[in-house]
Amino acid sequence: MNKKPKQKITSIFRNNFIMLRKIAVYTPEYFLLMIAEGIIWGFINSAVAVFNYNLLDAVDGGADFIYAVKIIAIMAVFYILAYAFDKWYWIIKNPLMREKLHLKMYKELFVKARSLDLSCFDDPEFYNDFVWAMNESDTRAIEVLEDTGKLINRVVASFTLFGILLTVDPIIAAILLASSCITIACNFWGNKINFEHSKANNPLFRKKNYINRVYHLADYAKELRINHADELLMKQYDDNTEEFISYDKKYGKKYFMLYGVVWNMMGDVTFFALILYMISMLDKGTLTVGGFAASTAVVWNVRWMLTDMIERITKYAKHSLYIEKYNEFVRFEAKIKDGIREIPDFESLEFKNVSFSYKFDSHPKYQFHEKDYVPPKGEGDNKDALKNINLSIRAGDKIAIVGYNGAGKTTLIKLIMRLYDPTEGEILYNGVNIKEYEPEAYRQKIGTVFQDFKIFATSIAENVMNGTYNDKDEKTVLDALEASDFTDKLKTLDEGIHTHLTREFNDKGTNLSGGEAQKIAISRVFAKDYPIVIMDEPSSALDPMAEYNLNQAILHNTEGKTVIFISHRLSTTRIADKIYMFDTGCLIEEGSHAELLKMNGKYAEMFSLQSKKYQAS
Amino acid sequence: MGKEKREIKKDKKEKKKKLPIKRTISNNLFALKMIWNASPIYLVVYIGSSFVYGILGFLSETYLLRRIVNGIDAGEDIVSIVRYVVTLALICIGAYLVLSWFFNVVSPIKSRRVGAYVEKMLFRKASEVELACYETPSFYDKYVKAMDEAYDRMLKVMYTLDGLVSRIIALTANSILLFSIDPLLIVFGLFPLLLGFFRRLEHLAHHALESEKKPIKRRAEYVKRTFYLGEYAKEMRIGGMYQNMLRDLADTYEEYKKVIKKNGTRKAIYGYVQRVGLDVVTILGATLYSVWSTMCVGKANGGMSVGDCLVVLGSIGTISYCLNNLMLAFTEFGEHALFLDDVRFFLDYESTIVGGDKTAPADGGDIEVRNLNFRYEGSEQDTLKDINFVLHKGERIALVGSNGSGKTTLVKLLLRLYDPTEGEILFNNKNIKEYSLNSYRDCFSTVFQDFKMFSMSVKDNVLLRPAREGDDELVKNALVESGAAERVERFDNGLDTILTREFDDKGENLSIGEQQKLSLARVFADYSPVVLLDEPSSALDPIAEYTMFENMMRATNGRSVVFISHRLSSAVLADRVILMEDGRIAECGTHEELMKKNGKYAAMFNRQAENYLGNEVSANE
Repeated sequence: MNKKPKQKITSIFRNNFIMLRKIAVYTPEYFLLMIAEGIIWGFINSAVAVFNYNLLDAVDGGADFIYAVKIIAIMAVFYILAYAFDKWYWIIKNPLMREKLHLKMYKELFVKARSLDLSCFDDPEFYNDFVWAMNESDTRAIEVLEDTGKLINRVVASFTLFGILLTVDPIIAAILLASSCITIACNFWGNKINFEHSKANNPLFRKKNYINRVYHLADYAKELRINHADELLMKQYDDNTEEFISYDKKYGKKYFMLYGVVWNMMGDVTFFALILYMISMLDKGTLTVGGFAASTAVVWNVRWMLTDMIERITKYAKHSLYIEKYNEFVRFEAKIKDGIREIPDFESLEFKNVSFSYKFDSHPKYQFHEKDYVPPKGEGDNKDALKNINLSIRAGDKIAIVGYNGAGKTTLIKLIMRLYDPTEGEILYNGVNIKEYEPEAYRQKIGTVFQDFKIFATSIAENVMNGTYNDKDEKTVLDALEASDFTDKLKTLDEGIHTHLTREFNDKGTNLSGGEAQKIAISRVFAKDYPIVIMDEPSSALDPMAEYNLNQAILHNTEGKTVIFISHRLSTTRIADKIYMFDTGCLIEEGSHAELLKMNGKYAEMFSLQSKKYQAS
Repeated sequence: MGKEKREIKKDKKEKKKKLPIKRTISNNLFALKMIWNASPIYLVVYIGSSFVYGILGFLSETYLLRRIVNGIDAGEDIVSIVRYVVTLALICIGAYLVLSWFFNVVSPIKSRRVGAYVEKMLFRKASEVELACYETPSFYDKYVKAMDEAYDRMLKVMYTLDGLVSRIIALTANSILLFSIDPLLIVFGLFPLLLGFFRRLEHLAHHALESEKKPIKRRAEYVKRTFYLGEYAKEMRIGGMYQNMLRDLADTYEEYKKVIKKNGTRKAIYGYVQRVGLDVVTILGATLYSVWSTMCVGKANGGMSVGDCLVVLGSIGTISYCLNNLMLAFTEFGEHALFLDDVRFFLDYESTIVGGDKTAPADGGDIEVRNLNFRYEGSEQDTLKDINFVLHKGERIALVGSNGSGKTTLVKLLLRLYDPTEGEILFNNKNIKEYSLNSYRDCFSTVFQDFKMFSMSVKDNVLLRPAREGDDELVKNALVESGAAERVERFDNGLDTILTREFDDKGENLSIGEQQKLSLARVFADYSPVVLLDEPSSALDPIAEYTMFENMMRATNGRSVVFISHRLSSAVLADRVILMEDGRIAECGTHEELMKKNGKYAAMFNRQAENYLGNEVSANE
């Protein structure tokens, strides 16, 4: 993400154009008003200058007082109208249109995000870009548009101001033009240095923020007190500050040369030179007092306009980088394609020679870098997460999948859910490759409690029904909560199943403990009639007693359904009809608990290790 | 969960109270004092510069034009005018050059130093206050705000002061000038003060708008997070929840619309009244008056000259602008004071856990817990009740019990992260309060259940102290013992590899199990006499757990150990088992004793063993 590729001017143009077109389509009103505002406001600086010019000339030239009053009255009307528009536009209209644009852009992004393959979330490079695109979409589209509006404003303003100068005296205009060119060059150069400087500072800021976070997050508080990590952090902080300062020194001198010596001095010299020139004209009588006043005002104005203009132009390059990524993301084609076949009732699930690795090569831009790869939690870093797996599950089976950390258990579940497609081999549902089914409908057949389940900031009922609650589901929800042993807690909640969970945006929301949250997650699979239920380490947050109760409850409530347990605690596995033992991505043993013990292989070894301490008693 | 809670609280306190004026002033002075402490010259030059800018700005703008026009009108010698302009030009160019050097080269460094000075002070305080502070929401709120703001806020006070000074100078200079031209003009200049009433109204509308927008924004942000965070990705794909989320998002727009209609309209109208009042009444009014004075009264009859008229056009604008912004500076000071109040509150806070002056014996000793009761602040019942036991030097105690029975709390009390509500803890026969905090805590090596990895090198993560000569060996051995060596050896930079990508793109990420192994290495690398392990094996698979425990028992030979585990199989390894229930010690004794007693421990043990041993054990029940 930090590698800023050099951009071609044409691509900067194209990207910004694409974004502007998108805005014009989404919110045409916003687009037109922004442009109009830019043009109208472009004339106001000149209007004030012209006004002063005429008024002073009237005064100095001994014109009629009524004439002067007329000029002032025109100006008053102008202000009254212009400010009415200004306030209405910026305080009422503009924020609303911004929000509308946000909403439309978000919708598109969100729907797209949801259709992304899960593998995209594992690829740090893609993911970084994706999060960036998401976060920036907030402001970036609006900046592109508003910068364009402002740019139009500055261009209109600069031209009209120069126009005024030309009518006063072409030589003044020429001097100012020459000085402006230098100003423009300075600004371009300055922005470049600035960009370099902030690029150099970026990693330092990251470090500083990190240290700051360590000190203020409660998670670290204990560690900081019981050991000497704070000495290390302080040292890092000091080193970091010194590094900041070394850049400040290096770039400070450059800024001084550029802004202090060239830019500032240029401006001052030009200004005073023009003043001297105008004095001679005043003296000769070739310049009126009005012209004199207007010109001095214009000189300062033009300088400011140009500086601002350049800043906005350079911003287009940054916008373009963002838009590039945004477009890439919007155009990204999910690898997991929709099938069309309708899904029949569940009879069997079969793995045929399935291999899978987290390596992905579908998208050339996001070529997988071995070094950058972060294995999903608990998966170790083996290249093939699963190797040549063959297994078959029939309706009603109770299956346990066991193995050490990194054996590929969780990966197997993700493949079953079709969150990933196998690298090799195929998965058959009722004898048909699962790719042929419509993924949404297929996933509806499987109820899963993930190890890292999430509770959403909405009501308990919506959480249990996964967002599809309506009033007639009340009994279903209550039953499901009963089954997962949540009822006791439920009784303590005033609003029952309509209690809002988390305080994310409801101050009266309830925060559940880890164990309670897990129960909610488990009740999800009871609430809907899933033929297949998958439990990924369902008992990890529970103590032994609670674990025992949970296992009993699961068995009770899943009669006739297919259940797949994942566990590395072998005690759970005894309740399964069939156990599959995995080791570094391979299926090494299968059979019932008794069969596997008799086989005296790895399962037996693992089991005996775990039970050793108990037997010793 | 914890994090979510905190974010909410941060927002909840949005309704800001107003500080009394005295406090506002003293808070701002406090900030200036801090800058003064960090770098006195910086403060002086910075504020001094606003005098220079204010005066030179006045001289080279309105005043210069008047001088020229009046001079020429009066038929003054052109040479003397030119001489005046050139002198002024030279002064300006020279002064600006020097100031530009100050602002571009000196100031960034100085401000960086001031920021670091303040921030480090906060860091030091942060690692000093007792842990309970993190659990008191009102304290934690202030603390987080203080941390977020301190760096910039002190400097902002200086910037505001700087702006104020330069505005006062411009105001004074222009007022004197106008007054000298025609005292009546001052009336126009003061007119904006009358608009203060509308400014107040606008301010209120603005605040109402912002605070009503906040919850809406929060909802939209939440929806956004559920779509892009990897942790939600699975759930969003399998349920219908995403439709809910999109609907929520659409709702936020409708709500937003209402808020804008209500408060935005008010804000716009009050703002409009001020704008028109300022530009039409003040500026155009003064213009009309001075034009009248010049044209109809005339210089000869005590009216204004053309040069004066020119000045009015410029100066009136400057005066009303300055007056308008003068108020702004005071609002800013008020805002700074609010934030600084949190900073000061935090810095002034006296930690309730203070160490004594004795040095704890580095070779350890018995730890005795006597009649200990403990209650978390704000909680309605005791978490620990009447705890009594002795951990003898070199003894190993397994602390077992169901979730919420108080095991972790007990460990925290042993570390003096909290002080007991009643009763006492003795170390080597002295109350632990008598020992200095550092020397006492140095007697412990602890691995918490929610241990943390730092974004530092592997070596630093294991040592958690500045490295010394010969530490590499120590760390390597510790890693071997804890089972993490294999993974670390595969890193390109070995022990110097930075963990996590927090701020190093080449950093390595470890899985939870690997992190746990690494955190256990901390115990092996540290020879402190007491080892505290809070569920050290929860993320390890059974084989890894088994090896780890074996190693742990060997390596901690001679050291006192307290370990918490849910897997009772490991309790067998301990010299003594303490079973906790509801904050009390329910049973205590060796594994054999407790099994013979056939009480709660035996029941729990058998329940777990049942799954492994089949029916023989459950028959015993």
